[in-house]
Amino acid sequence: MNASGEIDDGSKALAELLSFQSLLSLESLAQRAQALTLRRFGRTISLYVPLYLSNFCSSGCAYCGFAADRKTPRKRLTFEETQNELSALKQMGFDEVLLLTGERTPQADCDYLASCVKLAAKVFHRVTIEAFPMSVEEYKALVQAGCTGVTLYQETYDRAQYDQLHRWGPKKDYDARLEAPERALEAGMRTVGLGVLLGLSDPVAEALALFRHVRQLERKFWRAGFSLSFPRIRPQAGGFQPLFEVDDRLLARLIFAFRICLPDVELVLSTRERASFRDGMAGLGITKMSIASRTTVGGYQAGAAMEGSGQFEVSDERSVEEFCRALRSRRYEPVFKNWDAVYREVEAQKVEVCPCD
Amino acid sequence: MGTLKIGAYEFSSRLILGTGKFSDVDTMLSALRASGTQLVTVALRRFNRERAEDDLLGPLAALNGITLMPNTSGAMNAREAVKAALIARELCGSLFIKVEIHPNPQHLMPDPIETYEAAKILVKEGFLVMPYIPADPVLAKRLEELGCASVMPLGSAIGSGQGLATAGMLRIIIQESLIPVIVDAGLRSPSEACAAMEMGCSAVLVNSAIAAAVDPSAMAKAFAHAVDAGLQAQRAGLMPKGDVAVATSPLTSFLS
Repeated sequence: MNASGEIDDGSKALAELLSFQSLLSLESLAQRAQALTLRRFGRTISLYVPLYLSNFCSSGCAYCGFAADRKTPRKRLTFEETQNELSALKQMGFDEVLLLTGERTPQADCDYLASCVKLAAKVFHRVTIEAFPMSVEEYKALVQAGCTGVTLYQETYDRAQYDQLHRWGPKKDYDARLEAPERALEAGMRTVGLGVLLGLSDPVAEALALFRHVRQLERKFWRAGFSLSFPRIRPQAGGFQPLFEVDDRLLARLIFAFRICLPDVELVLSTRERASFRDGMAGLGITKMSIASRTTVGGYQAGAAMEGSGQFEVSDERSVEEFCRALRSRRYEPVFKNWDAVYREVEAQKVEVCPCD
Repeated sequence: MGTLKIGAYEFSSRLILGTGKFSDVDTMLSALRASGTQLVTVALRRFNRERAEDDLLGPLAALNGITLMPNTSGAMNAREAVKAALIARELCGSLFIKVEIHPNPQHLMPDPIETYEAAKILVKEGFLVMPYIPADPVLAKRLEELGCASVMPLGSAIGSGQGLATAGMLRIIIQESLIPVIVDAGLRSPSEACAAMEMGCSAVLVNSAIAAAVDPSAMAKAFAHAVDAGLQAQRAGLMPKGDVAVATSPLTSFLS
């Protein structure tokens, strides 16, 4: 807060970097982004892997391959299957897993998710979820089960567009979604991942809204860690076409500008993007990446049948080894374990740690 | 040139290295060797017993002549730091613990209150407690009274490369301290490490400035030289600083 009682959230600086009239070249932004990333995160890239637990869904999002009215086969992993998938991911070397579901359904509700989190927390140091908006109490149950982070993209901050694209179902409630990250942090989650699905509305306006959202959460939840993603719409069952074009140069500009304006947050780039773009962006703002991802339900176990199509088509289909080789050839170290479950256990189990007291 | 004494340990090198942010383990090990360091810190969160190529503890434990100082980076409060310290001691057998508690994962500034609480417990547990702290002279004395083995005030924010932004406070801490004062965090260039040593610090801890250098080994060596130069200068006794020139022919000789 300044002397006039105003809070400067820094969004003006971001707007200047994103302005089409900006005199700053993409190259100069890239150099600033790289320098800031190197200083804060070093020559490392953290790795994680998504695991889709269920593609049952109760909403009708126009852009999603798992929308409830698509004809795609529906599946939910049994606990045994979940266990096997988790073991397969562990074998691949991962130590951070992101568990995903569709919008809330009887098949994949909070209790189901909590049970899966518990299974994952037995083998992974870091377990996070990307599911549906929940109540504080529900998020608390997930924290107790061992979940430390929630990813929840608003998809678009443009209310009118949001209303049109989320045709029906619980996801139609814009505010319930917008306020969910705050409830997750109130419940004791350590990290929140935010993002917009680029292509649904004016990308610069979306970027500014995303920026304001994270800055507002940062001020209120000063202990929380934040990560931001910039997913672009990929081909998916349903054939939805982006309403706004976001080419590589614009996406790169967004990422560079966010790194310059938020030097300390994690910026994530998934396998939605193709290999050459990901390799080039590693360290130019981007600090965290997924690899070897499947967007079908399960699919990591050796010999697992790939049932139906995924939520969207993956672009970067390299193996963990291939991707790590590519990172190393650019002098970046892939980091699989960058946190320790010891910190989670203190919170979840209230273990006795102070023998001297 | 005297040694750095911490508990029953003596180190001839005054340069302590961090092990994060390197492009690979070999680059990190080469930098450690080039620096001549004898005390190295490693985060418990980077111990990976399940995947050798992702593990920092294994390769560090195999080094001769280097004492490991695990750190609790990732802990957000005293309870978490204490638990991490107990586990780290079990896994790597070192009595040293660098208490790092930064509840805000963005700017990573240390929490003085939680650090104090953790130090209280860990000293009683028999650790050589090395707390990473804001450059606060009162907190430094309070931690000394608890029985900490050293205090590690920050020069500036971790990874910021802003050098000795806290120089004024560091001078007070050094003047008053009965235990080693080690500047930790924020150093960018060897000249800043040299300045910290000239000021009277017992040692400096460097990570980002070496790991993020174009040639980490060469930079590690440069830091080692700078730390030595600063220590020698401090020992040699710097001439007093003045703000006016001193005339070689006295102005008051006529007053005899």
